[in-house]
Amino acid sequence: MRRLVVFLVLALALLAGAATFNWWVDPFAEVWKPGAVADARAGGCLVSQELIGIRYYSFKRDVFAHRPTRTFVVGSSRVLEIASHPGERTFANLGYPGSAPETILKLFRALPAKPRQTVYMGVEAFWLNARYTVPDTDPSAYHLAEYLLSRSAFTTGLKFVRQAHYILYDRWRKDEVGRHCVIGRIFPSINWRVDGSRVWSWELDPRRFSKVGAAPFTGNLETWRNGYYADWRTLDERRIHLLEQALALARERGWRVVGFAPPEPPHMLHVLDTDPRIAPRWHAYLTLMPRLFARYGFVWAGLEDGARVPCRASEYPDAFHTDGACSARVRRRLDEAARRPH
Amino acid sequence: MLFNSFPFLFGFLPLVAAAYFAVPRHRLRLLLVVAASYYFYAYADWWFPALMAGSTAVSYVGGRLLEAERLAHRRRLVLTLGIVGVLAVLGYFKYASFAGGYALDFVHVITQQRFPGLRSFVSSIVLPIGISFYTFEGISYLVDVYRGTLRAERDLLRYAFFISFFPHLIAGPIVRYGILQPQLLEKHRFDADRVRSGLLLFTLGLAKKVLLADGLARYVDHYLATPAQLGFVTAWGSAIGFGFQIYFDFSAYSDMALGLARIFGIELPWNFDRPYRSASPTEFWRRWHVTLSTWLRDYLYIPLGGNRKGERRRDANLLATMGLGGLWHGASLNFVAWGLYHGVLLAGTHHGRRRGLSLPRPLAVAATFLLVTGGWVLFRMRSAAGIGHLYAGMLGLHGFGGVPGHLFLYVAISAALVFGLPEEWRWPVERWNVVYVAAAAVLFAVAASSVYTSHPFLYFRF
Repeated sequence: MRRLVVFLVLALALLAGAATFNWWVDPFAEVWKPGAVADARAGGCLVSQELIGIRYYSFKRDVFAHRPTRTFVVGSSRVLEIASHPGERTFANLGYPGSAPETILKLFRALPAKPRQTVYMGVEAFWLNARYTVPDTDPSAYHLAEYLLSRSAFTTGLKFVRQAHYILYDRWRKDEVGRHCVIGRIFPSINWRVDGSRVWSWELDPRRFSKVGAAPFTGNLETWRNGYYADWRTLDERRIHLLEQALALARERGWRVVGFAPPEPPHMLHVLDTDPRIAPRWHAYLTLMPRLFARYGFVWAGLEDGARVPCRASEYPDAFHTDGACSARVRRRLDEAARRPH
Repeated sequence: MLFNSFPFLFGFLPLVAAAYFAVPRHRLRLLLVVAASYYFYAYADWWFPALMAGSTAVSYVGGRLLEAERLAHRRRLVLTLGIVGVLAVLGYFKYASFAGGYALDFVHVITQQRFPGLRSFVSSIVLPIGISFYTFEGISYLVDVYRGTLRAERDLLRYAFFISFFPHLIAGPIVRYGILQPQLLEKHRFDADRVRSGLLLFTLGLAKKVLLADGLARYVDHYLATPAQLGFVTAWGSAIGFGFQIYFDFSAYSDMALGLARIFGIELPWNFDRPYRSASPTEFWRRWHVTLSTWLRDYLYIPLGGNRKGERRRDANLLATMGLGGLWHGASLNFVAWGLYHGVLLAGTHHGRRRGLSLPRPLAVAATFLLVTGGWVLFRMRSAAGIGHLYAGMLGLHGFGGVPGHLFLYVAISAALVFGLPEEWRWPVERWNVVYVAAAAVLFAVAASSVYTSHPFLYFRF
């Protein structure tokens, strides 16, 4: 009996120890760390993507819960630079990479119905490509248990600790990037403000960090923009239905919604307008959206033509995402649209 | 549900084992294990248990009728109907797609009609895992009752336990009821030594699977994805690597099955005994997947006449038995070719022996190992082109090739284990002292933490 107990106790103790280590070090950032965001909030800092990882859903709900939010934006990674005006406390950016109508509906259902909100909803055309798959940004407890007990997390965690010993004692630390403080770990390449908006490190400190590069359009849709527009045959009815459910819920709650297409630089707008593999669906999307939003009593602000925002081609560092300056102008267009009578 | 998965290791197994020993009555325990085994099977697909229940019912009723019937021709009829009944399910789910595909190709050549609807239906037939194993168990039961070497089981619960017992359900060993029946009559009290011994054997199997077989798979799969590019060294390294991979994978499953059954007080028959140490193909089949090879011998080769009707008939029987054995592994011509290849090796061994040919044992072991490795090419590469490319690489027709360091390291470790230590079920785990037990606990923790990225067992496909 003694040897059976030794086996079971030792095996379970080792697994529990490994799980605790993985939870603490969390090398793939799959554990939600509200403490890091709280530290950023308390210290007036940004929080590094290294600490948010894939837990966007938890992060954005936390952002909403800790602000007297009256206006928020949802959408893909292309709306993330839309931020609060200076001094504004009632705005939150609840967009995140891997958003889609299903994640927006899930988020809407999770948010309180009151007080009434003004919602800026960036709708991507590629969401209506059925081939676009939505990554899991809200992993289940089971997935988390698997992760915590995995050897790959443990060995990668050991490499992290070798690189930065302090992680054994402090799960994160305060770092300086330019004139900003960042709650991070080793390399803060992407950072989040406490209003949920994103800021690239090169925007904080252009001398220390270099800009992301823009990949030219080669004509290969499988590689262009992560393949989001490849093999796009029809507008996905399922996603349209989910989008309508989100709009119906917003109307039921008395929220005001302004829809928009995230701005495109001129050369990419040209691709979308003229490439025969995309253009028919792109134009169908541009036709459908204003009607869809109007059906629920909401405004469609367009904005797909970045030049009319106005944003310069140089304000899209990777020819896909807008930078902070362009996004501030987008925010002003959205505010104007929200003030228009619905 | 895989043995190498979190739901099994941290949910199913501890719960079922704890409940098994908590239930005071023997029949309730049997019922608990049968229910748990059906749940285990349903985890793969909800409708699979219905097939197993049907197969169980056919062989159970067949056994009862065989015992009740006295007239020889009626007994033969009952046996035939019983075997056809259980084989029909296997035939439909395992071979309809294979045979239907070839039939439709043939019709297409004659009539130029493609029949896309029928083709799509045929190719959509899903093979329920484990069906090959419990079908053979049902057949062996019917034949044993028919031959009078086994009394038919009257208790349906015990019989259902025999067919469904989860440790051997998915990938064997192929158990005969004569081995299990006496064990099912005993009430098994909780025995810490036996449970520990079972856990240790299970741990050795788990470690062999996730650390060795999966480690080899990573490199073998990588190289064999492009067989046309493999030079002499890489081609041989990949083929030998696959030989070790499939051995560790399948024997690991058998070790785990034996260990799990032991926890519940059941001893299952061993299935492997370091087959790569064999000095002839005949010896190889006495050490490789033994419960299948003895099944084929007792229920196919001997009824066909075995070696009692002359050399030619013996050779034909060997080819037929091994060809069907190959087909049992999968509904594909490459498996038939692999089976026939081994049939030729076995027949060749008999002829060689009759002519007095023999080699010193180390040379004979090396020759057998190379011949078996050559056969794995047919087993692993599913297309004729892939088989041709890999054989060409092994013959040096693609040049010498680079030395794949990581693969060779795995192969060297595998060879050291295979040729240096006995098969794991022979290890005296029940006598291990606390230091060995603690080392096994560490091994379990490492292996269990590796299941996150583990592959399914190769033999699940068969």
